[in-house]
Amino acid sequence: MKAAALLLAGSLALAACASDEPEAGGGSAGTSAEGGGELQVGIAYDTGGRGDKSFNDSAYAGASAAVEELGGTVTDLTPNADASNRVDLLTQLADDGSNPVIGVGFAFADAIAEVAPQYPETTFAIVDSSVADAGLDNVTGLLFAANEGSFLGGVAAALKSQTNHIGFVGGVESPLIQEFEAGYVAGAQAAKPGIQVDVQYISPAGDFSGFSDPAKGYTLAQGMYQGGADIVYHAAGASGQGVFRAAAEAGGQAIGVDSDQYETIGDPALQAVIMTSVLKRVDNAIQQFITDYSEGNVTGGEDRVADLESEGVGLSTSGGKIDDISAQLDTFEQQIVGGEIEVPTTP
Amino acid sequence: MSVLSRWGAVLLAPAMALLIALAISGLVMGALGVNPFRVLTVMVDFGDTPSQQVTQIVAVLNRALPLFLAGLAVAIGFRMGLFNIGVEGQYRMATIIAATVGAAVVLPGPLHVALIIAVAMVVGALWAGIVAVLKVTRGVSEVISSIMLNTIALGLASYLLTGPFRGSPEGASIVATAEIPESGRIGGLNGVFDVLGLANPPRQLYGFLLVAVVVGVLVWVLLQRTRFGFDLRATGLSPSAASASGVDARGMVVKTMLLSGAVAGLIGLPDLLGRTYEYNSDFTSGLGFLGIAVALLGRNSPAGIALAAVLYAFLDRASVPLQAAQLPSSVVTIIQGTIVLAVVVANEIARRLSRRAAERASRQAPSAPAPQAQQPAAQEVTS
Amino acid sequence: MDESTPLAVELRGITKRFPGVVANKDIELRVARGEVHAIVGENGAGKSTLMKTLYGMHRPDEGQVLVDGREVHFRSPNDAIAAGIGMVHQHFMLADNFTVLENVVLGSEPTRGGRLDRATAGRRIREISDSYSLGLDPDALVEDLGVGDRQRVEIAKVLYRGATTLILDEPTAVLVPQEVDELFGNLAELKREGLTVIFISHKLDEVRKVADSITVIRRGTTVGTADPRTTTARQLAEMMVGAELPTPATRESTVREVPVLEVRGLTVPGAGGGRAVVEDVTLTVREGEVVGIAGVEGNGQAELIDALLGLRLPSAGTVSLGGQDVTGWSTRRRRESGIGFIPEDRHRQGMLLEAPLWENRILGHQTRPPAGNGRFIDRKAAREDTGRIMRDYDVRAPDPDTLAVALSGGNQQKLIVGREMSAHPRVLLAAHPTRGVDVGAQAVIWELLKDARAEGMAIVLVSADLEELIGLSDTLHVMLRGQLVATVDPRSVTPEELGGHMTGGHHPSPAGAA
Repeated sequence: MKAAALLLAGSLALAACASDEPEAGGGSAGTSAEGGGELQVGIAYDTGGRGDKSFNDSAYAGASAAVEELGGTVTDLTPNADASNRVDLLTQLADDGSNPVIGVGFAFADAIAEVAPQYPETTFAIVDSSVADAGLDNVTGLLFAANEGSFLGGVAAALKSQTNHIGFVGGVESPLIQEFEAGYVAGAQAAKPGIQVDVQYISPAGDFSGFSDPAKGYTLAQGMYQGGADIVYHAAGASGQGVFRAAAEAGGQAIGVDSDQYETIGDPALQAVIMTSVLKRVDNAIQQFITDYSEGNVTGGEDRVADLESEGVGLSTSGGKIDDISAQLDTFEQQIVGGEIEVPTTP
Repeated sequence: MSVLSRWGAVLLAPAMALLIALAISGLVMGALGVNPFRVLTVMVDFGDTPSQQVTQIVAVLNRALPLFLAGLAVAIGFRMGLFNIGVEGQYRMATIIAATVGAAVVLPGPLHVALIIAVAMVVGALWAGIVAVLKVTRGVSEVISSIMLNTIALGLASYLLTGPFRGSPEGASIVATAEIPESGRIGGLNGVFDVLGLANPPRQLYGFLLVAVVVGVLVWVLLQRTRFGFDLRATGLSPSAASASGVDARGMVVKTMLLSGAVAGLIGLPDLLGRTYEYNSDFTSGLGFLGIAVALLGRNSPAGIALAAVLYAFLDRASVPLQAAQLPSSVVTIIQGTIVLAVVVANEIARRLSRRAAERASRQAPSAPAPQAQQPAAQEVTS
Repeated sequence: MDESTPLAVELRGITKRFPGVVANKDIELRVARGEVHAIVGENGAGKSTLMKTLYGMHRPDEGQVLVDGREVHFRSPNDAIAAGIGMVHQHFMLADNFTVLENVVLGSEPTRGGRLDRATAGRRIREISDSYSLGLDPDALVEDLGVGDRQRVEIAKVLYRGATTLILDEPTAVLVPQEVDELFGNLAELKREGLTVIFISHKLDEVRKVADSITVIRRGTTVGTADPRTTTARQLAEMMVGAELPTPATRESTVREVPVLEVRGLTVPGAGGGRAVVEDVTLTVREGEVVGIAGVEGNGQAELIDALLGLRLPSAGTVSLGGQDVTGWSTRRRRESGIGFIPEDRHRQGMLLEAPLWENRILGHQTRPPAGNGRFIDRKAAREDTGRIMRDYDVRAPDPDTLAVALSGGNQQKLIVGREMSAHPRVLLAAHPTRGVDVGAQAVIWELLKDARAEGMAIVLVSADLEELIGLSDTLHVMLRGQLVATVDPRSVTPEELGGHMTGGHHPSPAGAA
């Protein structure tokens, strides 16, 4: 019994240590040698780190594109398994002289609020979190009108559905992801009133496993397809892989999120089911922010909202599967941009 | 046996294990094409300026604090042969309820803090008590029930956070309980650095450190010096011998779980009272499981656990500078894993060695003189 | 000895060291072909180390092993078996749910076409069984067999592998007297067929009965040989310990009128609500009285002791201590009010092996001095008192901080007896108080029990050693299937009569009761 307990303890301890962190934490882009005044961009990822084929990768793409154009380097860091060291990540980047320093994900809000005042010379940015009321004049909030992009996703799903029945799989039932749901459901109802929309979340608020649990994503999506839905939209980070797998098995279609997952998925079988992706152009927003910074156009203490109008959100068209409904999609887009349609942010 | 050699024996096994683990990790790194010496250099580099160095020390200590408490909670169970895997759930429940209670009341400073600590300990103890009650009344293995209660605690905490205990405004990215007012917080200990003539960085050393030290000492006294502790350890060493000696095994299970849970309830408080002042959807998770590793590493003794927690935190800290130095931070995980395994193996080897040494010593011990009349004549050695 | 016929086994100057300790030193052993040769010695004298050397379980550091006059170097028991040496272990190594045949062939199965050749195996086992009168049925399930039969299966196992020299390690420890006689009958058969038997024991009467020659081991080395026909058990024992020794027999009766422990109609249910393991037991123990309980192991003695100690809840009946009903009391309360306990398995119920001696000193006495009366343990007093017990009861260990596991069985037992006696209990529950301890320690423990009895202590004595029971008891009950089935007078009863009661017949019968 004692030996068994020790073994169990040992394996648990190891499991607790282990994480899905990607291999290399650091990456370096750009070709030019280091020198005075050289742009040195610091990125602190959300849990999961680089290689999530979604949010973090998109952030990296934006930063890379920026230094490609402007010259310089990118230093990127991934938090530990329980993400208790976000402050350390930002401190390390700031200490190393990175400027600007970008925290990817709203979870950095507290950490940035703590670190930014200690480094007044450094410019910070945080993705998905508002700093308008935080009183931090060296921090910029990079926000996205995820509801607007999701609205178009809902329109596309509704128009393409054969069964008049679609689904939504959210990663974590947090306000941020509920915004995706709200837009999606509103879009579907607008395009096809009375359409049935299944909504499921992988984990409740406070439990972030929902973004990294493909098996659970698979199970939920499988249930929806078996229940008659033929298109499922996921806003669930890495768990989305499971949704695509369920779609491939059920012969259904799926909608990706954040980046153009048709291009990034890397598996032909799964690629075939990705009808479109609701883009959240984190890459564009970050590239733009870095460019503005290098040109001295960042004031700080304010939010920048990327929406349909600024093409910060939208639908991907890779694969050409929604080309046939582009006219309808354009119409809805015009109405949102024009303010005729007010997209809700909560379900 | 002199005090020195006894301590030497106690420390030798973990020290050897540490070296062996480092050697193995070095080989693994070599196989991965990573220069282990560079890794080591980065790990021990705490920064250039005094302020940076002190900041790193603070980071290590702040990280070690909850790990120490978690290890302590697990070790209390271990010492009587109970495997409390439920520490995770116990501290989650304790933290969210303590945070809510702390935010709901206003009391004079020390009283307010004391109330929050008391609530956390009571909630942790009660949550662990469920495990104990199931075990003594229904014979449910504490391993099974505490794992299940972890899941329930996670779900319940999420429900409470998004439902009745929600203090953050609708639509905020991070769902949180209401903030604990100033009087319920514990300030930093950075004054110590001024006294010591060190740099005083903005990062605050958690004041909860003092509470943890007190708890550690109390637990040590309780286990090593009291009758309760004797009964607890006796049960861990041999349940049947303990029962025969008059220890009420069932009562012991309940008391031990309550104690373990009460300490588990403290795990979230360093962060809660020193930094976040609220329980939120992003509150550090997984500390209960890390506590198992830390308890094993510290051989279930409070002092050992403190060292183990600092070592763990030190390694954890290294993952950030390693990434910045373009080295894979996963080496930290490799080292942590190897150390835990090496220590478990080394402990077992050390136990056998010391047992053999003791057997040898007692075999060579001279037969005691026979001063009493009741000694039979057989005691005269005629060899 | 006749040097022309080679000896079956000869050991010359065998020395075996373990790190820091010499377990065997200059062992000389000469075993002639076709004899029963006994090796006697106290526990811890080095008998088992010697046998492990002979059976190839480890290699000696010095000296020679000769089998049939040729020097051999065994690397493993397989080498020993190949040289015709087999070992019957004290603890049987049988699979209960296998048949006799399957157990015997396990590890050296005859196969035909890859399958177990039952016919051949069965034939050979019957041959072996018939030629040595083992009386084995190859198709019987081992779980249905009694202890004596199981031992014969072990012997058959060894013979099946072609052994011509058999080592029997304490073979009588688990047997009742009738079974011992049967075993000796078997050994005579083996001898007649020309096989050699090496018989390890510390029961000297048996050794004298069965052996042709005896080698005595003391403190790791051979101290001499003896002829069983001309040597008395006492002389042998004195060779073993190097001194004279006492007997268990008590002096005049010290029984007083005052009853201390009264048990009325005590019934303890079996596990899972099965048949009662203790049924309607009524007995009284008075001051200065030793009440012995005889019985084949597993007939409820252990459960009775547990119930008296409060470790098992009775379904009926009462236990009273000094006129006070203690049936509902906790173990701790019972111990505090004067119940002492020497457990039958000291490792299971009597000691914390991984704890120092001083902690073992206060085990069971946590709530009174020297442990202290309050919440804290008085470590200093506990250590000091442990030192006193070590001196007074001759517990051989370096100091009170030594781990209990480091002590020999006899020293552990002396510590337990010492601590129980030190608490001056009103009733002492002594279960197999001298089991597994050497002759010296046994004598000490007997003396202590006798002294305590003379001072008025009431003692419940459970033992498998019939001589001990008869010698120490004032009243002797026999327990069979949970009930007290007979009460005999220890002054007049013989071990054979007692054995008959224990197995359910009044006259000695060959049936194993296990």
